[in-house]
Amino acid sequence: MRVATKGTLVSVLSAASFIWAGGAAAQSDTLKIGVVSALSGPGSEWGLAQDGAIKIAAAEVNEKGGLVVGGKSYKVEVISYDDQYKAALAVTAATRLIEQDKVKFIVGPMGSASTLAVKPLFEKNKVLAIIGAYSEKALDANTRYSFRGFPTQVEFVAPIVEWLKKNKPELKTVAELEPNDETGWFSQKLLKQNYEGAGFTIVSSELFERSLKDFQPVLTRILATKPDIIELGTTPPGTAGLVIRQARELGFKGQFVKIGGPGAPQIVAAAGKEFAEGLLCYAAADTTTKNFKDLEAKYAKVLKPPMNEFTVYFYDAARMMFDAIQAAGTVEDTDKVAAALEKAGPYTGLQGPIRWGGMKSYGTNHQILTPTFIGMIKNGEQVIIGRMD
Amino acid sequence: MELALKIVINGLTSSSVYILMALGFTLIFGIMRIVNFAHGELYMIAAFIVYVLVGSFGWNYYLVVLIAAVAVGLFGATLERVLFRPFIGKELNGMIMALAISITLQATAFIIFGTDEHSVPRPISGVIQLGFLMVPRDRLAVGLFALVILGAFYVFMRYTRAGLAMRAVVQDEEIASIHGVRPRVIHPLAFGIGAMLAGFAGALMAPIYTVYPYMGSQPMLKAFIVVILGGLGSVPGAVLGGIILGLTESVFATLINTTVATMVSFGIVVVILLVMPTGLLGRSTR
Repeated sequence: MRVATKGTLVSVLSAASFIWAGGAAAQSDTLKIGVVSALSGPGSEWGLAQDGAIKIAAAEVNEKGGLVVGGKSYKVEVISYDDQYKAALAVTAATRLIEQDKVKFIVGPMGSASTLAVKPLFEKNKVLAIIGAYSEKALDANTRYSFRGFPTQVEFVAPIVEWLKKNKPELKTVAELEPNDETGWFSQKLLKQNYEGAGFTIVSSELFERSLKDFQPVLTRILATKPDIIELGTTPPGTAGLVIRQARELGFKGQFVKIGGPGAPQIVAAAGKEFAEGLLCYAAADTTTKNFKDLEAKYAKVLKPPMNEFTVYFYDAARMMFDAIQAAGTVEDTDKVAAALEKAGPYTGLQGPIRWGGMKSYGTNHQILTPTFIGMIKNGEQVIIGRMD
Repeated sequence: MELALKIVINGLTSSSVYILMALGFTLIFGIMRIVNFAHGELYMIAAFIVYVLVGSFGWNYYLVVLIAAVAVGLFGATLERVLFRPFIGKELNGMIMALAISITLQATAFIIFGTDEHSVPRPISGVIQLGFLMVPRDRLAVGLFALVILGAFYVFMRYTRAGLAMRAVVQDEEIASIHGVRPRVIHPLAFGIGAMLAGFAGALMAPIYTVYPYMGSQPMLKAFIVVILGGLGSVPGAVLGGIILGLTESVFATLINTTVATMVSFGIVVVILLVMPTGLLGRSTR
């Protein structure tokens, strides 16, 4: 009995040590990518764009047998945590990814507050991150490991205002309407600079509390200034639709422009098809292209549709990150990977050529530069009427 | 002159909805001494009923307004029977219960419908041109509906036995009981009617604004301001407070901005609380 027990014990220990060794070997062949983003609640459509994008890119790599780095093949594993668009939860999730899951690469967060809260952690722990965040503070000259994977107003306001100047010369005066918070203040300032720089006259700059739904008093005041354009900037899509409807009902016959976050379907739903007609807006993607539709099909395999337009940007950025890891020849040394990403030349993205830039605006070339699209609402649908590469 | 008329029309259309919300809120407080912080969620539930039945199933909007208001009224009466009855007269406990119900209902709507803002097809659109004035038809319709509902409420409270009994309970529940009024019947009836008024407001406003789980917070806040102005528990006070709030907001939001309008609304509440702690008409009707 004793012998048998000893033999059994030896067998078990041998098997355990074999499994342990095998497990360790398997672990070393896995490249973990973390996601910290809003996966539920307000803003989750944007957070899920980040989560879906990296999951699609990872699935593609795994289908090809893994990511080959330095002659070794790595299976890509995505570990996602929900920050619910809250800075405190983002810090908790990022800390867990870094300390417990030992990730060196993260996609997210999306919210500005979350990004600003976790960025010091990324920099301190040398974690390479593909971040979101509209805030201009998300990137600066000291940013080493964070790369912003989608364009912000800083990138797309100027080309769209120039397009307006060239294609709609009859429009000369602008009334701005923005939410009364940091996002709105920054957007209003940036749009004012660009419109005035292009020769437009700002006749009214209004702010509103985000909870406001009855815009008749504000619009009465705006319409008294007789603007050619009402610029809706970062006004949320549903609210923008209400503004458009109420302004039309008060007799505004001019042009609506929205050079801020995309969301044409929500605008049309809230404004009604007839009132939304003719709206000119920033469009994150040309949703009619084959590439976009193919990505939608892939998205449906990893997450529940509908796919947000932002997915395109983070999918491209994720692929660029994988290429940089391969070019650097390491999954550990993020200094080398960051350097390889910075050096990456023009890349063929789903929507056209993309590259890293932004030195003039942020003091670092960690901002993705992509084609800019201008959409127009026609018969309730967004149609791309302009593109600037 | 044109601007002044626009300000008055904007103010009065807002007032009509504020009054609908505030009447139910003040009726419930007047009779049960419960500050119903879940009143905004009753507004939200009615709006979602409209969203589902009109937006998804294509039912007739006017029929659905009635269904939503009655359904919310019945829900209100059930709330009174199941959750509020132990706290009648205990203002603090009742308020905490109302807060808990409010948060629970918001969370439930969030789980079912998500946080997106939904739109309801509008039964009426376009504008009516009155000389130099353009008045949106849908808002005009809401104002008229609100007037009819307020008229019906006035007739009910003034000329029916149940209305008389409610007014008696507002003035003194014990004396009313001695005269044969049964508070156990009056309480759910009052809560149901108060909830139904919030239901009418939510159902009427659903096509005008967007529908989402937290949409009740602002109307609740407005109702609170209105009843503080008019006097907590006073029905005529709610009407007067609604008109004052609607016009004040319209004047300041149009001439200065919405932030100042909100500030002035609360400034008036502070002054009223200091000078007339029971509100403009609170003392005379309680």
